[in-house]
Amino acid sequence: MSRSIDLGLNVLDHQLLDAEERRCGKVDDLALEGGPGEQLELVAILAGPGVWRTRAGLVGRLASWLGGGGRTRIPWEEVAHVGSHVSLRKRAQELGLGRGDDRMRPYIEKIPGADR
Amino acid sequence: MKIFQVALGILAAIGGFVDIGDLVFNVSAGATFGYQLLWVVVIGVVGITVYSEMCGRVAAVSGKAVFDAVRERVGFKAGLGALVSSQVVNLMTLTAEIGGVAICLQLLSGLPYRWLIVLAGAALVVVVWVTAFEWIERIFGYGGLCLLVFAVAAVKLHPPWGAVGHGFVPHMHTQSPLLYAYFAVGLLGAAMTPYEVYFYSSGGVEERWGPKDLGLNKVNAIIGYGLGGFLSFALMIVGGALFLGQGVEPEFLGTIALGAEVPLGQIGLLLALVGILFAVSGAAIDTLFSGAYNLAQFLGWEWGRYRHPRGAPRFTVTWLVLLVLALGVVLTGVDPVQLTEYAVIFSAVALPLTYIPILLVANDRTYMREYTNGRIANVLGVLYLVVIMVIALTAIPLMILTNVGQN
Repeated sequence: MSRSIDLGLNVLDHQLLDAEERRCGKVDDLALEGGPGEQLELVAILAGPGVWRTRAGLVGRLASWLGGGGRTRIPWEEVAHVGSHVSLRKRAQELGLGRGDDRMRPYIEKIPGADR
Repeated sequence: MKIFQVALGILAAIGGFVDIGDLVFNVSAGATFGYQLLWVVVIGVVGITVYSEMCGRVAAVSGKAVFDAVRERVGFKAGLGALVSSQVVNLMTLTAEIGGVAICLQLLSGLPYRWLIVLAGAALVVVVWVTAFEWIERIFGYGGLCLLVFAVAAVKLHPPWGAVGHGFVPHMHTQSPLLYAYFAVGLLGAAMTPYEVYFYSSGGVEERWGPKDLGLNKVNAIIGYGLGGFLSFALMIVGGALFLGQGVEPEFLGTIALGAEVPLGQIGLLLALVGILFAVSGAAIDTLFSGAYNLAQFLGWEWGRYRHPRGAPRFTVTWLVLLVLALGVVLTGVDPVQLTEYAVIFSAVALPLTYIPILLVANDRTYMREYTNGRIANVLGVLYLVVIMVIALTAIPLMILTNVGQN
């Protein structure tokens, strides 16, 4: 990625799309590495309700608790492209994303006409 | 078929613009102030057209719907506030629309109201479950065109056209300026209800719009909301010609339908009720989907009718849960027409957090490239932000001061 991107504006809070263009979460936070005086390096995307607790005070903690508190770390190397959305190289399941949808699918599938 | 492609605009107009809130506010405004407030409708129509075009353009170019933009631009914390307030207002509106559907069915069939609520809920689930997005638009959008009967009624009632024309020039001739202001804010709030842009922008993604569809987007926004505005004029003129000075408060949907029956007889009544039925059902689906769109977009879940229930399970469960909640509230016997007034006034407060992020994203070259807002869209966009701020700040004080428009 040669062009510069504004992480706060163009990555944080953006939609994650997996290799099959499936929506599979948001960039809820970013993990940066580097001590004082060193250059900061973006190492991972953090996604999931567990991340919300740090982002909106008491309400965030409540939302996080309601959402089950899970969180997923996606190494930055897994990012294929940053455009309107953040596109990932692998499928959501391989990265541990979109599990809520996967958990609910078996129930929805039982209803006739769920695939039309 | 080009004619079918404006269906999103027509549904946005019929189900979004002319929903139960507009029916109530326009006819009441006519009954209370005659034709004086017609100019407010013009302001509302231009505002919703400007912002819908912007949302449609953002959706077509970047694939982002409104709550994607909200989350990106105001972050998790403020975005969560916008989400919660919009969901509360959406649920209130959905409840009012379902009540409206049941009232229409009752007026058409004479069966008991409570049974019809359950029937309306079941019918909505079946229709949404089995019908593709494009057909939902067409059925409810074109069915709602029966509302054009109010335009015929308006002409047949022979209103003083001079006074009607004068209504397009802002003026105030009343003993109760606060009530006038309440109605002005209510009409603007009803015209620019945020769920219209939630639905419209997500609808653009549902229809898989791309940059090549920008012309279609513009036509949809202009024709759709132009038509909505035209119907609003007709409703207000009918309200003014029929009820002004009669001491009639059109607080029942049946009274509104009466506006078509008086000049046109049984056929007028029937067309009016069928038109209201389709418009209010369309609005119920708009608000139902809007609630699910917003939550899914804020949290990054898969969403959209085009993904089918199997492809977007949490989105599907969300709209099912919202529908059950709304049905529960309607069954308590709450008056849908009263509820719609509250919903419109509270939605005015949620307006800024919806519209500001859209304006920001529409100006972002990173995504919008050569389709970034032009000068006209920006001047109007900023101007309407001022209008929206005024509405947001005055809506609740006015509601309290006028006792929800009763004084």
